[in-house]
Amino acid sequence: MATTEEWRRQYAKYKEDVKKRGKSFYPYAMFEDTVMSLVVVSVIIGLAAVWYFTSGADPKTCGSGDSCLLGPRYSDPADPATTNFVPRPDWYFYFLFYLLRIFKWPDSVILGTVGIPTILLIIAFLIPFIDRRMERRLTRRPVAVIGAILVVLSMGVLTYKGATAKEALASEVVQAVPTWAQRQGFANNAEAIAGAKIFASSGCTACHTYLGTGSSNQGAPDLSAEGTKGRNKQFFMQYIRDPSKFGNNVMPKFGFNDQQLSQLAAFLLASKGPK
Amino acid sequence: MATATRNKKSARRRQLEAAINYPIDWLEERSGLVGAVRYFLFRKVPGDTGWWHTLGSATLTAFLVQAVTGVILAMYYKPDPQNAYQSIQHITNDLTLGWLVRGMHKWGASVFIILMFFHMARVFLFGAYKYPRELNWIIGVTLLAVGMLEGFTGYLLPWDQTAYWATVVGINLNGTAPFLGPFLADFLRGGAEIGNETLSRFYSLHMLLIPGLIFALIGLHLYLVIRLGVSSPPWSREAAGSDYGADEPGINGRSGLTQPVARSGWRRNGGDDA
Repeated sequence: MATTEEWRRQYAKYKEDVKKRGKSFYPYAMFEDTVMSLVVVSVIIGLAAVWYFTSGADPKTCGSGDSCLLGPRYSDPADPATTNFVPRPDWYFYFLFYLLRIFKWPDSVILGTVGIPTILLIIAFLIPFIDRRMERRLTRRPVAVIGAILVVLSMGVLTYKGATAKEALASEVVQAVPTWAQRQGFANNAEAIAGAKIFASSGCTACHTYLGTGSSNQGAPDLSAEGTKGRNKQFFMQYIRDPSKFGNNVMPKFGFNDQQLSQLAAFLLASKGPK
Repeated sequence: MATATRNKKSARRRQLEAAINYPIDWLEERSGLVGAVRYFLFRKVPGDTGWWHTLGSATLTAFLVQAVTGVILAMYYKPDPQNAYQSIQHITNDLTLGWLVRGMHKWGASVFIILMFFHMARVFLFGAYKYPRELNWIIGVTLLAVGMLEGFTGYLLPWDQTAYWATVVGINLNGTAPFLGPFLADFLRGGAEIGNETLSRFYSLHMLLIPGLIFALIGLHLYLVIRLGVSSPPWSREAAGSDYGADEPGINGRSGLTQPVARSGWRRNGGDDA
């Protein structure tokens, strides 16, 4: 660790060196800056062109007629009532998004949503005060190099995992409803079966798991044996209507009507765990 | 005869120069701006800076692309749930070059974020955050966080399913934070549910508050870069401020640009204790 005096001396020498043998910003450095900026603008234009010309104007044609190299132009209009949509953030939040699969709701979700990002940010802020050696050559900074490699690797892996996290498609999940009914023993309960179909087709399995189907995207609990917890139908209806009233600020409010709520509640009540 | 022509010419030339210089001098006398620009352009940077040092200005360029395309998009975009989606369709499919402007804004956002990370990695690996540049590192990290917030608020604006549900989850995640979380979530939503109020709020944050903050922080960032100077690559034999190479001052009459950078490997002066 260098003393303040050493730092000052070194910086004074830096200024003297630059004055003596430095080059003028214009045109030398500015030339390189300009070339790089032109490259950046070209890349942005290129991405925009590839995105536009490989996607159709109709979001639904993406995947059939068009190659859609960079995704559709937009998805369907926002609709708070239909919930068979798997939430996905923009790619640079994938690492956060995946952290939420590691830290399960509700006990430790706070670590994933707030804890780790805050800690990372604080560490980033403090780097100049943690590393106070004068040494700048990488060969003499093993801790910094290993730290950098670990950060890049973990961010890369988390981003990749977040990007490729499998979400069950609603149409696939619905196929599983008869099996659920049989295994849970509610095959004769029409209301529960209707609720199971809503559950399967509304994207609930984007966050919840049920008899092995679905993914714990936001770390939401498994619901296979939800009916064994001594809750009544009324509780389930009210809970799904507005989870935040029960202290659950992660699960969104969905626009189900009373009949749907009742069916969902019947389904959950009939879920006694696999036989 | 010849002399007379030359005199005449130079008299005209002098007039011309005076005409050009007058507004420049006028501006300089009243603002000092000409001197500032001159200082910015002709300040000295270490002779061994290279392509690695262009990542910062590349990031700035990406941000300026966002600013320009964003202003154009704002002329056609309608920030309310009834019209937002249609206005995005209209911009993308009907307007002349609307696809280009929106495409550049959409993809420029990713390029901006990537370049911020690259720039940060470069500064980290060069050890360029050390004295006296600690404060500028902190401003840079703030810019990264604020830049990601800009991405988050912009993601909702197309008002399609992707946008809506990503934001639903994002806001709910904010809501899990202790103490402030629920207030923050309520503030962002502008009510109990995501709707009119949320879109206006995100639009305002995305258009006014956050870009203003980014502009101000970039201004500070650049001010400190210019004030403190650009650091040399740490491996350079010519690195400004380091002891090595001091014995054979790279002073062979060449300018920094034509200096042979790596003449004999790493260092030959055995200054390992640098």
